[in-house]
Amino acid sequence: MKKKVVVTGINIISSLGLNMEENWINLKAGKSGVRTIDLFDPSDCETRIAAQVPSGFDAYASRLIKKRLSGQMTRVTRMAYVCAVEAIDRSRCLDFSRNDRSRCAVIIGAVSAGNSSVETGTTEKNRIIKNMSNAIPAWISLRYGLEGPNFTVNTACASSSYAVTIGYEMIRNGTADLVITGGVDSTINPEEIKGFNELYALSVRNHEPERASRPFTRDRDGFVIGEGAGIIILESEKTARARGAAILAEVAGYAITSEAYNIMAPKKDGEGMAVTMRQALEKSGIAPERVDYINAHGTGTPLNDLYETMAIKSVFGAGAPSIPVSSSKSMIGHTIAAAGAIEAAITVMSIREQVITPTVNQDLPDPCLDLDFVPNYSRPHKINVAISNSFAFGGHNACIVFKKY
Amino acid sequence: MAKIESGTREEVRRLVYEFFSEECEVPVDQLNDGTNVIRDLEGDSLMFLELLEVFKKKYGLNVELKTVGKYVVKHPAETIGAIIAMTMLIIEHENRIAELD
Repeated sequence: MKKKVVVTGINIISSLGLNMEENWINLKAGKSGVRTIDLFDPSDCETRIAAQVPSGFDAYASRLIKKRLSGQMTRVTRMAYVCAVEAIDRSRCLDFSRNDRSRCAVIIGAVSAGNSSVETGTTEKNRIIKNMSNAIPAWISLRYGLEGPNFTVNTACASSSYAVTIGYEMIRNGTADLVITGGVDSTINPEEIKGFNELYALSVRNHEPERASRPFTRDRDGFVIGEGAGIIILESEKTARARGAAILAEVAGYAITSEAYNIMAPKKDGEGMAVTMRQALEKSGIAPERVDYINAHGTGTPLNDLYETMAIKSVFGAGAPSIPVSSSKSMIGHTIAAAGAIEAAITVMSIREQVITPTVNQDLPDPCLDLDFVPNYSRPHKINVAISNSFAFGGHNACIVFKKY
Repeated sequence: MAKIESGTREEVRRLVYEFFSEECEVPVDQLNDGTNVIRDLEGDSLMFLELLEVFKKKYGLNVELKTVGKYVVKHPAETIGAIIAMTMLIIEHENRIAELD
């Protein structure tokens, strides 16, 4: 019999804060973490804004990471490490000495360790170790002596959603009891910004950073790049209950698909997105009318938002307009490989607190996009079932279904 | 084989302690010869190599890393005391350390 999988710990580092509590307060308040880039001089970039993690991060990280270790890590690795350590600290009664450590896995979504030209707080040494994206989960396992499966997953903007689904599957089929999963990213450097500009993917609303990330609006002009980490601790219901863990939500199921259509553009009319959501609900045994909230991929690019809206209408039919749909990226930008896990954590918090965080900057609705995007203000809402969408360059789609526990 | 003066012995000892104190952010007075670098200080396998580079430069030693590596495989040095002792042997024997049992 397949095992039930529950969430027993979450944590976020983003432009809105260095931990879950700080982020949740700011997300509920509808704040924007987007500002002019100061990690480097962006004056020769077309886009000069981003959702940077607060400048206090390095000092914050130094509480948990010794200088020696820090010299072997990149900013990306440090973000994932700190986020994981604090997620574990917050997961009540989690004491690995009581676990079979060979059944504890670490699976992290990451496109790279991010050893870029703006790297600070480290040295020229240890280039190989710092460049290893697999070092991200490896350092976490080293801290706690976790001997189960340990690897990174790279499916671009859906990386950490894929990581969560693989972790879910490992627990469900009995390969692991506990999985520390999630994702991390920091691509705020001139090379990546210029690369995304070449693709016309980024907003260039440099004169008003806080209003630049505007998913689902008529004048959206691309996404705003963000950085951060999201960690989710998954456990089998049995082991979680045995240790008296606080169970935050249940993972009801998921779908991961490939569009096999275009390296960048989503499949016409959101067909691939719809297939993914439909499959996720079918695999979870949940009828579309039971979904109370959708945490959208909602990037703010013209095509994604149009097609995601079409896909939601296709899956939920006449019920679509009554389902609240919000985009966390409107506040924290697009954190690429971290986005899926960060947004899954926000979805879990929404279920836990029965509050939906808003889509900010909703001042010019797009008449073609006529769903309830939870404009500008958070909202109390009864949520038993929620889904979190991630749709990546390369056609990697993921949809995770969470249930109230 | 170079004879090691007592002053050199003291200097090596002090430098090894200072190295681990600095790298592992642990006060010198909390270290002793029995301190295990990996287990007690959360150190790593690269530390001995870095330390070796320090002494190669300081004393102009003619010793190759692979030679030391072969010796270390047979005689692992896990504590600060063992690392000091091995450093003395390297200074004393340089590349001929491989000829030791």
